[in-house]
Amino acid sequence: MTRYMPIQAIHSYLVHPRPVDGTPIPIGGATIAHAGRLFEMLDGIYQKSDDECNIDISFNHNEMGTQQNDCRDLLIRYTRDPTVSHGRDIAERLQAVTTNRSGLGLLFTIVGTEGREHKLVVSRFPADSGILAEEDDQSLSVEFLEKVFMKSATSYKAAVYRGTSISSHFWDGMAVDKQINSGVLTISNYWIKEFLASDFKTTSAAGTRRLAIALRTALRKTEDLSIKEQLTAAARLASNQHGRTTSISSFSRNVGLSNEAQERLKQQLPSESLFTERFTFSRDEFVKHVAFQSVELDNGGILMADASDFDEVFHTEPLDGDRKRFITQGRIVNLKLKSGRT
Amino acid sequence: MTLEAEYKRLHSDVLCPLAERLESLLRDYLSDAQRIDRITTRAKGIDRFLAKALKFEGDKLKYADPLGEIQDQIGARIVTFYVSDIKAVADIVLTYFRPIEEKLIIPESESEFGYVGKHFILFLPLDVLDEEITADRAPKVFELQIKTLFQHAWSEANHDLGYKADSPLSSDQKRRIAFTAAQAWGADHIFDSLHAETIKTA
Repeated sequence: MTRYMPIQAIHSYLVHPRPVDGTPIPIGGATIAHAGRLFEMLDGIYQKSDDECNIDISFNHNEMGTQQNDCRDLLIRYTRDPTVSHGRDIAERLQAVTTNRSGLGLLFTIVGTEGREHKLVVSRFPADSGILAEEDDQSLSVEFLEKVFMKSATSYKAAVYRGTSISSHFWDGMAVDKQINSGVLTISNYWIKEFLASDFKTTSAAGTRRLAIALRTALRKTEDLSIKEQLTAAARLASNQHGRTTSISSFSRNVGLSNEAQERLKQQLPSESLFTERFTFSRDEFVKHVAFQSVELDNGGILMADASDFDEVFHTEPLDGDRKRFITQGRIVNLKLKSGRT
Repeated sequence: MTLEAEYKRLHSDVLCPLAERLESLLRDYLSDAQRIDRITTRAKGIDRFLAKALKFEGDKLKYADPLGEIQDQIGARIVTFYVSDIKAVADIVLTYFRPIEEKLIIPESESEFGYVGKHFILFLPLDVLDEEITADRAPKVFELQIKTLFQHAWSEANHDLGYKADSPLSSDQKRRIAFTAAQAWGADHIFDSLHAETIKTA
């Protein structure tokens, strides 16, 4: 739910990449007036940040294990006293982790309050080149623009923090990073891990376990064979997601689950918000919970194999109606008798 | 509403059910861990919360917003058999929970014996929340302690003595408590080395 929080201060900083020799490039900074079209655009970003930032993040503690984080210290000092100088310290931290690959960016820091709650938004617009075209009745003028800062759909980044107590809250927040799944580590780690010194609030193991158990439970509870087939196919395809930032919702879409199957999956979660909670998928954790796939036939036969290899171990041929023939071959390495069906 | 009334309501409606769910989640996460004696959770008692909330630091109350700032409203404890099991359990805990604090509490000087324990402040996992107990009603974090059986036994007795004492403990009483801490420390180390030896010879 978005609540309106009047903006108290907005500052902006041009952040160049850190030079190769490590010498920092001086950063100026500007105070943005609370009027005009730029303010209206930034006000929009501030208001929408709660919806736009959809990744739960939390700051890392320091190396000693105590409740201190260098980036958090800068953000809370700015929130308490939003001056150009305190905002510049945040921009300097961003410059220290910005490489040529991340490129030039324009940083905005926006602070607001509502009642007892404080809100801070930090937002980075990447630089691009562009063309300005202006037309009047008689002519068209075209001009090349070297530094244009756009709320790019592919590389925009932001983070939002809220809390009533600046000193004890502001340990967790929400972020958006359009490059989080970039194959280039320096890009995907740049905003959340390096600049914000944070990580996803849901660990890789916790998020993956939640997904695996939801899949397993949904499969057990549903009677619908077509949904069962979709869910087992999803479990087989899961290994391909290793190392990717995902959520149960994006996973479901990526593996092509129907709306009905997605709904079954969602119903297994304690709360709906867990459906969109982001985490890094871990193959190792997944197979701890969904290791095997089994198929039971109406003739009493039960086939079982590693979930990720089931289709390679058992080849399927369609027969009349819903009947199927399974074909496999191999050397017998073990024989077992079980006491009952579990 | 007074702080006491507010905490009483939070205690029964939110903290107790959350502590119960957290215990069940911890048991699931640690189901493969070896040599765990017990896993317990609790909602901080009303008296103890109020005593903490009304603590002074200098001439000011330590907590301006006790409900938002006191981090051990939900506490969990995992008791292991041996000292070396603590690290194994801590490693599992850190794969599933995000910490904002992680410390090994030991006496300041090598010649002192007293409280020992591995403590964490961890984010409360979203898995324990539901449509009724939502994130805005629940504390953000909880405290988790990992202790050996001897550390657990010593800290329980020490806490009980300190909590019940009408007057500050005398020097001799403090020395006797330190003596029991030294014995617990010694027992832990001997059992741990015996455990390591028996594994090697097994």
